Amino acid sequence: MRTVYIIGVGMTKFGRFPESNVIELGRTAALNALRDAGINKKDIQVAYAGHARTGQLYNRECGVGQSILWELGISGIPISSVGNFCSSGSTALREAWMAVGTGMYDVAFAIGVEKLTGRAGKGRPLTSDGVELLTVMGFSPPIYFGNVATRHMADYGTTPEQFAMVAVKNRKNAGPNPRCQYKDPITVEEVLNSPVIVEPLTLLNCCPTTDGSAAVILCSKEVVSRYTSKPIEIAASALRSGPYKKCKDITTFGSDRLSASDAYETAGIGPEDIDFAEVHDCFTIAEIIHYEDFGFCKKGEGGRFVEEGMADMGGKLPVSPSGGLMSRGHPIGATGLAQVAEAVWQLRGVAENQVEGAKVAFTHCAGGFQDTIELGDVQSSAVTILKRGW
Amino acid sequence: MTTDNNALRVDTIGNLIDPKLKPFIKLPESPSEKPHLIGSKCSSCGEYFFPKRAICPNCLKDEKPEDILLDNKGKLYTYCIVKAAPLGFDAPYAIGYVDIPEGLRIFSPLTECDKGKIKIGMDLELIVDKIREDEAGQAVYGYKFKPVSL
Repeated sequence: MRTVYIIGVGMTKFGRFPESNVIELGRTAALNALRDAGINKKDIQVAYAGHARTGQLYNRECGVGQSILWELGISGIPISSVGNFCSSGSTALREAWMAVGTGMYDVAFAIGVEKLTGRAGKGRPLTSDGVELLTVMGFSPPIYFGNVATRHMADYGTTPEQFAMVAVKNRKNAGPNPRCQYKDPITVEEVLNSPVIVEPLTLLNCCPTTDGSAAVILCSKEVVSRYTSKPIEIAASALRSGPYKKCKDITTFGSDRLSASDAYETAGIGPEDIDFAEVHDCFTIAEIIHYEDFGFCKKGEGGRFVEEGMADMGGKLPVSPSGGLMSRGHPIGATGLAQVAEAVWQLRGVAENQVEGAKVAFTHCAGGFQDTIELGDVQSSAVTILKRGW
Repeated sequence: MTTDNNALRVDTIGNLIDPKLKPFIKLPESPSEKPHLIGSKCSSCGEYFFPKRAICPNCLKDEKPEDILLDNKGKLYTYCIVKAAPLGFDAPYAIGYVDIPEGLRIFSPLTECDKGKIKIGMDLELIVDKIREDEAGQAVYGYKFKPVSL
């Protein structure tokens, strides 16, 4: 693999946009990325579009990338869809990274988009793809994470207050970020007193329903100097499915451990070298477990990690300085690329909620459940490590 | 209200069980029997599975692992109390994961598990009971676990 750089990123605001469709959202993010890169659209050689619910919600199973890029006059190149649960956007990035890294192409586009406000069953939790049996038995993602939370509390003494502190921290981080869906500060009491979704998780422990898009332009080392003197290097892009061990410890996510160790090895770094992380905080308990699975702290100490301010801005390892899924929202296919866009702005030193002197970033997306009732491990986990390329 | 499985006729309950769950539930055929979940066991490596699998993923030798009745008792591994329920489910209810002696973990609604009484490690037994209502308001049956009656 040759070195691959990010030369442009773009996003829409994330929020509820009933008037916009997925193509319009994707077009806006893609155009922002083209302008950010200062690249001629004719230079784009290949594109991947990450989306997970456009088929179910809008009868657009395929062709989302082609339609978005058609609106921008980019055609006649290889374009394909990438569906991989909550990691769809990260997987699109990884496909683009491989396309350039292997030497097949010099410039690639990764676009992620989702519009979740069009789903039925408002006020009810999102279901997961491909889990027919689990769904028959009443499964939903909040139920899975509620079960995880109960066991983490029992094994390690983690408290609902510590879960709430994740939400409070991420909302505080979102304050200056104009792309976040929710920006007003919240307190631990407000999180604890919000409506119970699945005890022990209240509403403000869960990420919201959101529309949005993000896009990233990558290029090879050979051509990067044509576009920028300050590129961001993709030091690693790892993707793993679940190991699905029987009767596994539910308070650790096997696919995440695999993707993180793969990424650390590829990048030749460890958690101590990371300046900040954007993790998949779909639920507050998930972020606490990510601290542990990614080696930010020891197993079982995730609750204390957030309580003691280690994940805060200025802490040992700031986590979700952008506001995270909790505040930005989670338009499934867009999230992984939004994390990368936010991380790129951090590494350029231009983020609204800037981590001072950030040089190395860790981003992580994960999701999807396997329809084997006894297992309980997520189906996709993607970790990207980025660093300053200058 | 929990249904007394022994008092109900197999054909009545059988018709109410969710079609997707039917292959996985063995109803009692006499008042002395209890319901069981149907899993499978690889004839080559001895691995147990629930849900049943079409081929043993460990050894790829057994392409038709035999059906077996799983132990109908287990211990609660973890749980949560659902307040915002999926469509058709009547909140609040407890739902969790139950470890059974075959080394399997079963995702299952829990009944007779009021908040004060429910506890990780508690002994549970399988029952067949209403789990939700369909779009027409008709009761749909499936399996649940309840505390072992002492």
